[in-house]
Amino acid sequence: MKISLNWLNTYFKNKLDGFDLVKKFNLMSQEVSSFEKLLDINGLVIGHVKSMEKHENADKLNVCQVDVGNEILQIICGAPNVDVNQKVIVAKVGAVLPGDFKIKKAKIRGVESFGMICSLQELGIQEFDSDEKGIYVLESDASCGENPLQYLGLDDFVLELDLTANRSDLLSYRGVAYDVACMLDLDIEFRKVKVDREPKENPVSIYTQTKDSSVYYGQVLEGVKVKDSPYWLKSRLIASGIRPINNVVDITNYVMLEYGQPLHAFDYEKIKSDRIIVREAITGEKITTLDGEERTLLDGDIVITDGEKPIALAGVMGGLDTEIDNSSTTILLESAIFNPVKVRKTANRLNLKSESSSRFEKGIDYQETLNALNYACSLLVELADAKVIGNPSFYNNINSKKKTIKLSLDKINSITGYAFTVEVVEDIFRRLRFSYKYRNDQYIITVPSRRPMDSYQDIIEEIVRINGYDKIPVSLPITPTQGGLNHKQSVIRQIRNYFVGKGLSETKTYSLVSLELATLFDQEESETIRILNPLTKEREYLRHSILPSLMGVLSYNKARKIDDVLLFEIANTYFKNGEKLKLAALISGKINNSTWQKMNCEIDFYYIKGLLETLFKELGITEYSFELSKETLPQLHPGISALVKVNDQVCGFLGKIHPETEIKIGLKDIFVMEIDLSNILNRNQTNVLGYKEISKYPSVNRDLAIWLDKNISAKEVVSVIKEVGNKTLNSVEIFDVYYDEEKSNLKSIALSLEFSSFDRTLETKEVDNQINKITDALNNKLNAKLRG
Amino acid sequence: MKNKLNEMIIQAEKSIMSCKTYNDVLDVKAKYLGKKSDFNDLMQELKNLPNEEKPLFGKLINEAKQEISKLIDEKREELEKSKINDLLKAQAIDISLPGRDFTLGHKHVLTKTVEEIEDIFVGLGYEIKEGPEIESDLYNFEMLNLPKDHPAREMQDSFYITEEILMRTHTSPVQVRSLLANAERKPMKIICPGVVYRKDDDDQTHSHQFMQVEALVVDELTTLADLKGTLLLIAKKLFGENREIRLRPSYFPFTEPSVEVDVSCFKCNGKGCSMCKSTGWIEILGAGMVNNNVLQAAGYDPMKYQGFALGMGIERIAMLKYGIEDIRLLYTNDLRFNSQF
Ligand SMILES: [Zn+2]
Repeated sequence: MKISLNWLNTYFKNKLDGFDLVKKFNLMSQEVSSFEKLLDINGLVIGHVKSMEKHENADKLNVCQVDVGNEILQIICGAPNVDVNQKVIVAKVGAVLPGDFKIKKAKIRGVESFGMICSLQELGIQEFDSDEKGIYVLESDASCGENPLQYLGLDDFVLELDLTANRSDLLSYRGVAYDVACMLDLDIEFRKVKVDREPKENPVSIYTQTKDSSVYYGQVLEGVKVKDSPYWLKSRLIASGIRPINNVVDITNYVMLEYGQPLHAFDYEKIKSDRIIVREAITGEKITTLDGEERTLLDGDIVITDGEKPIALAGVMGGLDTEIDNSSTTILLESAIFNPVKVRKTANRLNLKSESSSRFEKGIDYQETLNALNYACSLLVELADAKVIGNPSFYNNINSKKKTIKLSLDKINSITGYAFTVEVVEDIFRRLRFSYKYRNDQYIITVPSRRPMDSYQDIIEEIVRINGYDKIPVSLPITPTQGGLNHKQSVIRQIRNYFVGKGLSETKTYSLVSLELATLFDQEESETIRILNPLTKEREYLRHSILPSLMGVLSYNKARKIDDVLLFEIANTYFKNGEKLKLAALISGKINNSTWQKMNCEIDFYYIKGLLETLFKELGITEYSFELSKETLPQLHPGISALVKVNDQVCGFLGKIHPETEIKIGLKDIFVMEIDLSNILNRNQTNVLGYKEISKYPSVNRDLAIWLDKNISAKEVVSVIKEVGNKTLNSVEIFDVYYDEEKSNLKSIALSLEFSSFDRTLETKEVDNQINKITDALNNKLNAKLRG
Repeated sequence: MKNKLNEMIIQAEKSIMSCKTYNDVLDVKAKYLGKKSDFNDLMQELKNLPNEEKPLFGKLINEAKQEISKLIDEKREELEKSKINDLLKAQAIDISLPGRDFTLGHKHVLTKTVEEIEDIFVGLGYEIKEGPEIESDLYNFEMLNLPKDHPAREMQDSFYITEEILMRTHTSPVQVRSLLANAERKPMKIICPGVVYRKDDDDQTHSHQFMQVEALVVDELTTLADLKGTLLLIAKKLFGENREIRLRPSYFPFTEPSVEVDVSCFKCNGKGCSMCKSTGWIEILGAGMVNNNVLQAAGYDPMKYQGFALGMGIERIAMLKYGIEDIRLLYTNDLRFNSQF
């Protein structure tokens, strides 16, 4: 809401201090989004064109002698409409017009010019007169040397409020005046409205066939002369952000701003009957609105009809057929209230949001509906020579029973934590102009129709804001509670810390992606969730996997010459049966990379596998395994990828990106993993406290190197060894794998075996026996031969 | 005899002093203390001495032996030390060369900010609650005093999946779920961090996906003053001990009264600068006393229970704290940016 300070001042005895008002609004009411001069131009004066002659070297230019009060200025003017005896707006040398246009002394084709005669456009207020043909010519009563902005009423400040949804009362100057009077503790003076009526019958009759219009007043006026509005009216509308049109339209807008009650004027002669019937539209019904568009209506819309056809979309826009034009003389003025929700729906559907519709949407003070109509009538009489024909016709189904709210001082204080006294509270009620009674230790407050309120919480809000939030003391909640992270939250932090410690950087990517990316890493066909109203195709589906986004981050960074990209993200993925929290990691390039000391490590499958295995160790997960899966991971290299199982359930995968994809995106050696964390996070935490005993006796290490078929996995070798080994076999570690060119179908695996006992030092013979058993088993089961 | 001994000690000392290596020392040792040393001859002579003189000379010989042995040990130690010193000198390196380069991982700045906020609230006795990002209209709007036709719904243009299901526009539905789950009406202090979505085109200050943390306290006693104290504490923890706060009236459907919270500008200390648009204050979050309609919808008796709620955008907090000027940087994941936190 834009507020003209000049207009606002009319309600108060003394002029308001604009800057103080800004402060008060910010701290006690609504945020001020701007406060500035309507027109910030210095150096303008009213001039009188005394004489004018053609420029000797230019046909289209005139050399004018302009009286600006204390001097005569020679000004060259190129406007076609400039003439002797005009009162004009002169920008003197030194003035700066909008667009940083500095007025300087100039010599135009040999003739000097000391200033400029201005058009409204040059002043940035073209809307003041949309028919402007060149320079703007003032009325003859303008006096030379005075400030033209003051003369036109444009020497104003505009205060713009950012209104919250609960303060529709501030959509009118009267509402703003109430709030200002309350904040500054001032008296308000509203003018008395008196309407001179012709002693005739108002010819129109008004009916409703819908509950969606509670009140409707219609007044016929005759002899209306449609013309320009006076300066003061135009400038107040401009300051309030509304473009002046003609006196009739301007008056309806002006009254709407004053009371918050939108009005509509019909050309009464264009209405085909003397009846106005308000009803719900019939689906398929059509109306051409003022903007020339034909609109097809639905049965939720409310229409004003002439008994047959719609002539206006209630609260939204008038019909073209009954539009006021320059020849209109008899008008029907409407002041009514329509269902806010219906108005909003219609306005939204037809994309017809306006000053009127937004006021209807937020609710109208029914006590001003008739007052607004009367004020408009009095202005039409004054400014458009109108004659008011009798009294308004109307229906009024408003239930005007006043709502009351009960509230005790104790309640106020137990909610706010501040010690309000009876005196303070009652003084605030006085300033708010709320009437109340005090009974049984409670205030019974009558809610004024201009400030709709639901509960005592609204009243407390009023009391606190007028008293000042700065007076509220500071304390902390005193009820004891126990805070903390739960198991899942701690584990997620642990995982993040782990990856960061391992040199990976966390990303944040979007959940909404394209269909292709949403399903790129799917292991099986699975439905995606689509947004009904997406912003773009790239943000239409909820992702199944984080990895496509990480691939995007990889490409972005590689394109910026960042070679070593190590990423991870923990985020939700979205499926028909719910959200799954996943952990994804992507690594490409080297780790610990620097030319100095060459400690860097090329990343390969075993790196990312080890990264995950170590994480499992860190999280205390022991029951995991990796399985080759040729068919189900189409995005991964079939020979360098694996499914990850925890507790025998597949919970993710890891591996190298398929070479075809790598070629497509122009990058290579990308290793990824993605793990569904739900199983891991929901694991029973029945970890018995304790530790594993350490043997007092020395352990014995034996290395074993074998040749075997190269297709036998290391996992099989280890499981054969563990099967035969007795309980003294502590651990089996692989420390080397070796391929010999001459033995192309074989590989050699070197293992380190550790034996120990808790009750004695093992004897060499015992260990030898174990080793023999193991080598026999390897030979029998896997045809593995000891390496000589 | 005595002279002979003295002569031997002097001789031995000379040879020991001239030793250059450990082997030289061994030679000297063999010569004086070995099986064929000069002492052996003296021992023979000792046998020929009268019995009453034997003890005295025996003692003298032993003393001379000990003296020489001590000299030898000292020399040996000296030689060993100098050998180690030589070795240390040879092994010395240029410690000014750089250390090895370990790749450093980084948490995302949004995670850092969330964790910081979580830790502050956990310290105040709050639990952390989470909920789904795909929400029902019921939990996201209706139970938060935002019925279907409420004009304030337009403030939050949403991504819909069906007419009744949408991407949550705030983490407030987690508050609703937590209230509903608290059948015993135990005093509740929770925070709800998480990802939320609004249908905004991405630009310098808007992101269709962003993060929030909301806090909710509901018991029988918590006041507006408790809210103000909590807000002040958070402002100080997040932006520095010298911060002040200012509450201004505002409106949210789920709270009443509602306030916007400004923190005194931490760049200019309230004097006015570009960051605070010359006002000395920076808006950081919204808050208020829980609206009775919200309590009622969750089955609470609003005449008995009361409390406050507050909510902040993590991006905004992070951007203010670190001076980040474009919200899109937070989701671009340019490693040159991400690795600065
Ligand atoms: Zn500042």
